[in-house]
Amino acid sequence: MKIAAVESWVEAPLQRFVDEARARLALLLHPSGQVVAQAGFTRQVDVMTACALAAASHATASELGRAIDGQPFRVLHYAGPEKQLFLASVRTPRGVYICLTVFDDESSLGLVRMYFDDLARELAAVTPTMPVQHGAVLAVDFEADLNRNLAMLFGRGEEIIIRNA
Amino acid sequence: MTSPFASMLEGLTRQRGVRASLVVSERDGVIVDASVRFGQDGDRVAALAAAMYRKARLSSRAARLGAVSFLQLDAERGRICAAGGAGDLVIVVVTDPSANVGLLRMEMLKTLERLA
Repeated sequence: MKIAAVESWVEAPLQRFVDEARARLALLLHPSGQVVAQAGFTRQVDVMTACALAAASHATASELGRAIDGQPFRVLHYAGPEKQLFLASVRTPRGVYICLTVFDDESSLGLVRMYFDDLARELAAVTPTMPVQHGAVLAVDFEADLNRNLAMLFGRGEEIIIRNA
Repeated sequence: MTSPFASMLEGLTRQRGVRASLVVSERDGVIVDASVRFGQDGDRVAALAAAMYRKARLSSRAARLGAVSFLQLDAERGRICAAGGAGDLVIVVVTDPSANVGLLRMEMLKTLERLA
């Protein structure tokens, strides 16, 4: 499965993770919902939806963790009849990223968890040492960034503008 | 809290050359219960052994050889033995290369009978 990445340093670790864990879909994103890399998605709208839902689930789990255990829950697992979902955060020198992984009977929760630990270590090790931007995320910037990232992931020359109805 | 598997696993771990014994979910590849010596990564063993056992079971079925009762992997620095058949549960044992596999196999199959 081919990786499409906005930031090239995530490509090799994510490719290894997807291949070894035999993931069907994988998505690396910022907690804000902005996509960083994806594997297995064929439509931009699916990536957007998955990013929004993954960010929301992560935020919910984090807050539940804080309320229950005093610290955010880092890992979430949902199991369906055929497909399963593993959502976990990766801490890097540039901040936290979220990784959404979808897998089926070709893999298992144990394998995905094991290779995810390797992915987290690799990402933390190869993260470029660029200054972290602490500025407020404005809605207009977010939309522009999202559109640019999606255009890059799907190899489009032009950005596709998605607006609220 | 002691699980119902604790005494079975202790019995296996007491065998000479055994480094770890685990009850693992074949489908999920996660530990149900384990008795692991210091230095062994139980989660990693569980994930890989469950995947290996599952592949063997599917291969055996595809080859029309029937159910897999016992699986043994010999490696340079140790062995992994797995026995399944009690629903989704697989017993996994990691040993030194010098361990007596015949005796261990018997113990694992006995343990499996108690699980069923």
